[in-house]
Formats: sequence, C-alpha cells, structure tokens
Amino acid sequence: MAQRENSESRLASFFASDTFKGLLPFIGLVVILAAMYYLTNGRIMQPKRLRLLLSQVYYPMIVATGVFFVMTLGSIDFTEGSTLGVASIVVSVLSFYSIPLAILGGILTGAAIGAVNGFFHVKFKLQSFIVTICTMYLFRGVCAYLTTETAIPASQAIKALDSDNLKTCVTLAVLIVAFFVFRFTRVGNDFKAVGSGETAARFSGVRTDRVKFLAFVAAGALTGLAAFVNVIKVGSITSTAGNQLETQILISLVLGGLPITGGAKVRFSNIIVGTLMYTVLNNGLVMLGFESATQQLIKGIVFLIFVALTIDRKALKVIK
Amino acid sequence: MSENILLKAEHIDKRFGITHALNDVSININRGEIRALIGENGSGKSTFCQMLCGIYTIGGGTFTLDGEVLNVHNQVEANRAGVSIIVQEMGTLSGLSVAENIFLGHEEPFMHHGIKDTRAMVREGQRLLDEYGFSNIRAGSMIDNYNFEDRKLVEIVKATYMKPKILVVDETTTALSQNGRLELYKIMDAVRADNRSVIFISHDLGEVLEHSNTISILRDGEYIDTVNASDVNEDDLKRLMVGREIGSAYYRTDYGTKISDEVVLSVKNVTVKGQIYDVSFDLHRGEILGFGGLSECGMHEVGKAVFGASWDREGVVKLSDGTEIRDIPSAIHHSIAYASKDRDNESIILNESIRNNIVLPSLDDLASNHLLSKRKLDKFALENAEKMQTKMANINQFISDLSGGNKQKVVLARWLGKGSDILVLDSPTRGIDVKVKQAIYALMSELTAQGKSIIMISEEIAELLGMSDRIIIMKDGRINGEFMRSEKLTDEDLIAKMV
Repeated sequence: MAQRENSESRLASFFASDTFKGLLPFIGLVVILAAMYYLTNGRIMQPKRLRLLLSQVYYPMIVATGVFFVMTLGSIDFTEGSTLGVASIVVSVLSFYSIPLAILGGILTGAAIGAVNGFFHVKFKLQSFIVTICTMYLFRGVCAYLTTETAIPASQAIKALDSDNLKTCVTLAVLIVAFFVFRFTRVGNDFKAVGSGETAARFSGVRTDRVKFLAFVAAGALTGLAAFVNVIKVGSITSTAGNQLETQILISLVLGGLPITGGAKVRFSNIIVGTLMYTVLNNGLVMLGFESATQQLIKGIVFLIFVALTIDRKALKVIK
Repeated sequence: MSENILLKAEHIDKRFGITHALNDVSININRGEIRALIGENGSGKSTFCQMLCGIYTIGGGTFTLDGEVLNVHNQVEANRAGVSIIVQEMGTLSGLSVAENIFLGHEEPFMHHGIKDTRAMVREGQRLLDEYGFSNIRAGSMIDNYNFEDRKLVEIVKATYMKPKILVVDETTTALSQNGRLELYKIMDAVRADNRSVIFISHDLGEVLEHSNTISILRDGEYIDTVNASDVNEDDLKRLMVGREIGSAYYRTDYGTKISDEVVLSVKNVTVKGQIYDVSFDLHRGEILGFGGLSECGMHEVGKAVFGASWDREGVVKLSDGTEIRDIPSAIHHSIAYASKDRDNESIILNESIRNNIVLPSLDDLASNHLLSKRKLDKFALENAEKMQTKMANINQFISDLSGGNKQKVVLARWLGKGSDILVLDSPTRGIDVKVKQAIYALMSELTAQGKSIIMISEEIAELLGMSDRIIIMKDGRINGEFMRSEKLTDEDLIAKMV
C-alpha cells in the first residue's frame, strides 16, 4: 500500500518535473503528426508530400534561428516579415549581377535592419516589442513602395538554383553554426545570462548592451539569408512578401517550448520542434481541404490548446 | 493550561521540490505572549509563518487558532481569520495611496453600491496613522512618496489595525532605524497586553532576548526546543540553532598587524553626482578596508564606483600598474570582484543554475579557442561550490531555491574561482546566519593572508570593528573620518563620525 503511494507520488513528481516539461513540445509534435497521419489516411507521409512539407520548412527555420537569439534575451522581434520583404527585393535586383553579391546583399540588408532595431532598443532603452512594431510598419512601407508599380522579378540564374539539396544544406549549416554559438561560446552563454537576469549579468561582466545589439543584428542577418532561399523559391517579389511571417515565427517558437521570458530554460531544440509542428499542422489542414478561413480558425484553436497545455508557467512569473 | 493556547500548530510539513523545508513541526503558542522563532537561514521559520498566513499552501498538518482549524488561501483570508504578517522585504504596493495600501483587501466598509468612497477611506486611514503616532505620513499621498522605513510603518498599521489574534513580525527590524524599531516594539507589547500574541522572527539575538517571552528554535526544518527568554543567553541560543558549540573566534583577534605599504588600488577624486563627492583613498595589499556610515551616506556607491558599475562617474580608479578601471568588464578582467548588497538582483542571476552563476565571470578564462566545454565548466563550478561548502542538491539546482547564506556562498565561490585579488564586499553578511557568517569571516582572513585585499562595506558596526584593518566612515557622500584597527576603538568613536 505504502509502496503504491510511493510510486504514485514519484509519477506525480515526474509530471511536475522540468524533464517532463521539456518533453512536452516533442510530445506535441508527435501528437500532431499522428493526428494528421490518421486524418489524411497516411497521405501526409507520401514522399511527394514530405518534399512539399520540407520546402516550407527551410526559410522559416532559418528566420526562427535568428529570432531564437532575440527571444533568449527575453526580447521580441516583429520585423521578420518586412525584413524578408525588403531583403528579397535586394536579392532579386542584385541577382542580375552576381549570385554571391545577391546573397551578401540580402544578409547585409537584414543585418542593417536588425542594427536599427538594436540601436533603438539599446540606446534609447525602448522595449523591443515597441521598437520592432514601429520598424515593422516602416519596412513594410518600404517594401510596398518598391513594389507598387509591378512585382520585382529575380534573374533566371537565381531561380535555376532551386533545389532541395541546396536549401537543405543552407538550413542545416545555419542550424549547426547557431547551435555551436549557442552552446559552446561565450556569446551564446551571454544571451542566456541576459535573459535570466540582465542586471546581475551586467555585474558579472557581461557587456549587456553589446549582446542585445548583436542578437538583433543576428536575427536581421539570418532573415536576410532566408530572403535568398525565399527568392529562389518564388522568383519574383510582391508587396505581400513575408506577410505575417513574424507571428508565424513567434508562435512556432512558443509551440516549440521557448519560454517567452527567455533565459535559462531556453533549449535549442525549441527552434526545430516548433517550426516542424507549425508546418505539419499547416500542411495537414491544406491537405484536408479546408478553406483558408477555416484553416485560420482551426490553427488558432490548436495553438491555444497547445500553449495552454505545454507552457511553463513558472517561467512566466519572472517580471521583466 | 490548554485553554491558554491560542495557536496550535500540529505536524506542519512542507516540501519545495527535493528540499524538505519543514519536517513535522508542532508548536503551541499561548495567549498574551511574544514568541520568538529563531533558526539559521533555511531552517524553515519564514516558511512556517508564510503557511500560517496563507502565502504558501500548507504542505501537511494543521493550524488551529482559537479552537478553529485555519483554512486560508491568501493573506486577505488570513487577516479575516485573525492572522496578519509584516514581512521582511517590501510589503506595500507602489502606485496606490497610503490609505489604499492600509485597506487593501478590506475595502467593503468604504464601498457604496460598488463605488469607493475615497474620502472616507483617507479619513479613516489618517485617523489610524495619527492613533499610531505616525502623523507625518499622509493617508491621501501616494505610497511612493515615502521611503522604505515609512512604508514599513504603513505596513505595520495595515497589519495591526484590525487587531489580529496573531501578529507575525518576519525580520522586519533589519529594515528599520532605531526609532522605527521602538515603534514596532511598542506595538508588539500592546498586542501582548491585549492578551493576543506575536510571533517574532529575528536574527538579532539581543533583540530576541530583550523583547520576547519565549523562544522556539528550528534547525534544518525541524523543531528543536522552546525556552523561556529569561532562562537563556545568546550563546545558549546560538548553540541550539547550530547544534554545536560556536567557537569564540568569530571576528579576528589580532591587533597591531602592520599594513603593507604596497598600494594595490588607488581611488582619486571620485564623484558620482547625487551619491558621492570627491572620494579618495588607497587600498593596500593584504588589508581589509572597512567602509561604514548611515545607510544613505554613499558607502554602497563607493563599492560600485570601484567596480566600474556607477552610471556616471568622475575621477579615477587606478591599479598599481596604472591601469584605469572604467567599466565592469575591465574591473573583472583586472582581478576586481564585487558582491553587492542587493544580492538577488546584482550579485546572482536568480533564475539560473548554481553552475552558470559560478562560471559566468570566468568564461573567457575557461574557453579554449573561444569554445567552452561543458565538462570543464561543470568541474570548475563544482570545485568552487564545494570549496565554499555550499549546501545544494547539485550544481544544476536553480539558485533561487537556496537560502540567503548559501546564495552568498555561491557569490563568493564565483570570485574565488576567478581568483580575484581585490574583493569589494558590500554587506557580505546581510541577512546571513551565524554559521555562514563565521565561515565568511574566516574566508576573509584566509584571503588577506594570501595577499589579497578586501574593501568591506558594512552597516554593522561590530563587523567593522571586528574585521577591518582600517575603517573609513562616510557622511553625506563624503569621507568623514578614518580609524586604524585598535582594541581601544569603540562604537561611539565610529558613530560620532557618522552623524
């Protein structure tokens, strides 16, 4: 009797433990996959479908990796969509001259926008969500202005690069480098320290302003790189390029288990699990033949349920 | 006899994760007594009271107040049941008026059809403040207009105006000046005279002996004993708290040790507007330089200025080799360590593991080719945490779980690991129990013997006299006196320069 109580309490304490909470996003991914497999009678696992699904993972995952650093700080960045739009225009225009130049141009454009965000956030001590909401409108405006007359086409040369191999390589390279930085370098450690407690981090010798600035530049630069992958795929840029990307990334990372307060409990796997979860759900709903309005509705409900079930409430108590 | 019991606590139990904070504690409190509750940090005394007051949920056991089982879920319910608490840290809410703070959760008498009668509330608040003799506080003003001490007084009114059967005073006196303390003692005495009871938590054993009738001792979450205040002295209490004899070597016992002539750090004409003005001094090799003064005298800012942490500093902080210290990273790089008075915000990252807190300042030293190895970091953290004998489950435990004394051990562990030669310790033993205090003093002596230098900023005069080779007293942001270590030096000498 006592033994049974003991094992019950051990089970209960397992469910309350950080280990279990860390597993929740993975469980969520499996549940969504299983549900979609069942609902589509396995069609979602067909090679053709899987290819399509993967093709939608690449650029959000690259962008999410950048935003991941910003959110590790406990900050937020709403400019991804507009950054992707502007950077895509730059990539398209430069693609007529040289492909490496186009890639570099995209990254620099993104980094510059990130630098603007970082500068206002750090120097004027404005909260990141205020700054990036303002710049989101600003660069969305730039993007719309440049594309009013006509969509901006990219060169045939860049469109010819469209292959899963290339995109997979770029995405994997980004993930590997980011993982290395996050896990094995001082800077990666500093991101987490600032997220956990900025004042104490400063008193421990972390150059907090520099670290924060760097995170926004990294997020911008990676979005700029994602713009290259985007241009390869779509071929010409309209004013809606990257529309609502920021919310997609945000919800992906939260679904992946990233605490909105950043800090110690951030895991690199949040990026991968979250992006996959979002994409699987999105694709599944398309395959099931829902209209886009209905899709939105269902997505909203699923997100709410998942976030309510999986989010770590302990981390939310930290006031920033 | 049993009719005289006001509060019966039976088999009270509480766990926080793996920590067993309270283990089957049973205590009876009689009517009309002041019961002190003492124990080291982490002995469970605050946990006990916070369960009584509905701040924590009760882990196990029951509280019976006046024959009725207490079942409260928050402070407001506890107030209604007749239990109220004055806490250690800030217990008033910013952004509300004084009156709104006093009547928080008890607004009904001032409500008319869902609309608050602010004027009546302010009037009643002022009447209470006047009755307590705190007429300088205006009930209608915002609480933010008052300093920490006045806010504590407001809290005292809030906790006692409704005449609770049990008043819990949780280490409130450390936040109060002598006058504030006297006011609080008066109120405690009044509660006792009214045949109600006070639970009094304090680290200051002198105060405990003077103002309580009976004293209950907790150690590591277990109930040890209850004694009459008149039957014991401070040493008896220390022994009961620690469970063994505390040696007599509490402070340093050496006098007349010559301070080295070698200057390791010199501070010249340092001014931080609004805080300190034209402060200059030299720190010698192997000395403990004490800084004392009243709490607003600027001594805490001196520590920040030396560490490069002041926002807007004029003047020069220079090492013996001429290196100037301008910001925190350069201070740390040049072997200066800093332990802040505001431990939870400035010294440690509360929401991080012990490991990450210890390695943070040393990451550059631990990296090879800019890469960090987990094994190396783990080893470094474990070594230094163990060197300080930190009480922990493992190095991945979050530091927020630790008691004040153990947090300070982690702070010191990180700087030991960094190997800093100059340590700026601001209030190193603030809110820390006897045993850890003793360990910290021993460590300080050990470090200076190795030739390291310490700036110790302290609000405790006994600590300054007991540990410093030299004492600088500050007043209104300026240096107002300097004393060499001597057996003849007394409290009065220092106080004379402070006020």
